Amino acid sequence: MRNFILLIRRFWNVILFLILEAVSFSMISKSRNMQGMDIVSSSNAVVGYVYKKQNDVVYYFQLKRLNDSLLDENTRLRNQLAQYKADTFRDMIARIPVTVRDTTRRDSSGVTLAPTGAVKVIRYANYRYIPARVINNSISGDRTNYITINRGAADGVRKEMAVVTGNGIVGRINNVSEHLATVVSVLSDRKVSTKLSDGTAGLFTIWNPGSPEYVVTEKVPIYAKVKKGDSVFTTGYSFFPENILIGTVAKVDTMKATNAKNLKVKLSTNFRNLQYVYIVEDKISAERKELEAKNKQN
Amino acid sequence: MSIYLRNVIRFILLVLIQVLLLNKIPLRWWSNPGGLPPYTPYIYPLFILLLPLSTPIPFLLIASFTMGITIDAFMDTGGIHAAACVLMAFLRTNVLTLLLPKRISEYQNMSPNTKSMGWTPFMTYAAILLALHHVVFYVIEIWSFHSIGYMLMKVFISLLTSLVFVALYSLFFSSSISTVYYDK
Repeated sequence: MRNFILLIRRFWNVILFLILEAVSFSMISKSRNMQGMDIVSSSNAVVGYVYKKQNDVVYYFQLKRLNDSLLDENTRLRNQLAQYKADTFRDMIARIPVTVRDTTRRDSSGVTLAPTGAVKVIRYANYRYIPARVINNSISGDRTNYITINRGAADGVRKEMAVVTGNGIVGRINNVSEHLATVVSVLSDRKVSTKLSDGTAGLFTIWNPGSPEYVVTEKVPIYAKVKKGDSVFTTGYSFFPENILIGTVAKVDTMKATNAKNLKVKLSTNFRNLQYVYIVEDKISAERKELEAKNKQN
Repeated sequence: MSIYLRNVIRFILLVLIQVLLLNKIPLRWWSNPGGLPPYTPYIYPLFILLLPLSTPIPFLLIASFTMGITIDAFMDTGGIHAAACVLMAFLRTNVLTLLLPKRISEYQNMSPNTKSMGWTPFMTYAAILLALHHVVFYVIEIWSFHSIGYMLMKVFISLLTSLVFVALYSLFFSSSISTVYYDK
């Protein structure tokens, strides 16, 4: 026993070194699986406070640029609204006041409809958008890049929700604390279900490290009609809402060996300059997951 | 100023410089001209480099682990910085023994810095340990040897810019880092 204690005392430095390395590696492996961890992440209180304070300062210097981008988005949305006037009910809750036939009052037209004060929902929207400010952003990671935003569980943000901007995709929620959340951005090793503008679906888009501007749509069948400048969209299979722009095709590589094309896609989201994002709450996603889980059981 | 307080202040200062300034560099478009991959310079290992020579090894290890975990929390990297930092702290004494002319026990109240060692030995010391830190960091981060050229490229640019910032820090704070500690 005495020798054992002496041995430990002699190699105490090495033992401590190995313990600390083991702790670090177990933390790395924990953070690499999908669950994410809550303490060592930028959604914790102290780190979030520092980022928030910094953002409060930097915010004023960005106001001009922010104004311009919001103006652009406003214009775009107005144009869209004018184009699809009938279709806009899809993404919002439409309510009409409930009316009853009022028999006690009569005027010249014969029948009066009096509002009862209640409202009736005539159509549910699938998605609700929660605006959030980006308080920290990174693009230099090689496996995963994280974004910290100033909305958390108190604002209805949950794990695995999609995050988009006015003109493109951003990522999905990873960790949520009371008032903050971290987002795994599209610049990471997770695939996004994709379709092309000619209707070819069932494709996947993935990011290759090295550039925050480009992603690659892999294994596009050779018959797909695609050329430089075409748009690439998300599909409804993924956690993103359907038909959100991913980007435009910058280069088409035809692979003779696999008889497929790889598309280099320029992202429509500017990840260097993210300021406002929208968290997308999918209202039927819980129901959908429940239903799909039943399929697996059978 | 007490040696402990001085190091605590340096810890906070270096974390803030790293997180609020250097981590924002890759976001700027001018930081990667000609298709260079986005990279981040790391200045926070300077805290480990500047700890006094008489620091006990267990304390050195724990201090670097704390530093690494703090940076990990800010950058969402899990524990990669902590792993790299602990290795760096463990090998610090060996590198210093190689570079210093006298035995380490003879420098009682000194910390390794530009004044006590001279510019060339200090930058060599910083370059060796930072290279170690960067290689470990990027190997764990990328975790595949498919694109070894890309990895080496990132290590190289990151190391080069880190060294520039280490030198700049040593110039700006020369009076604070080259103090001999008598108040042990």
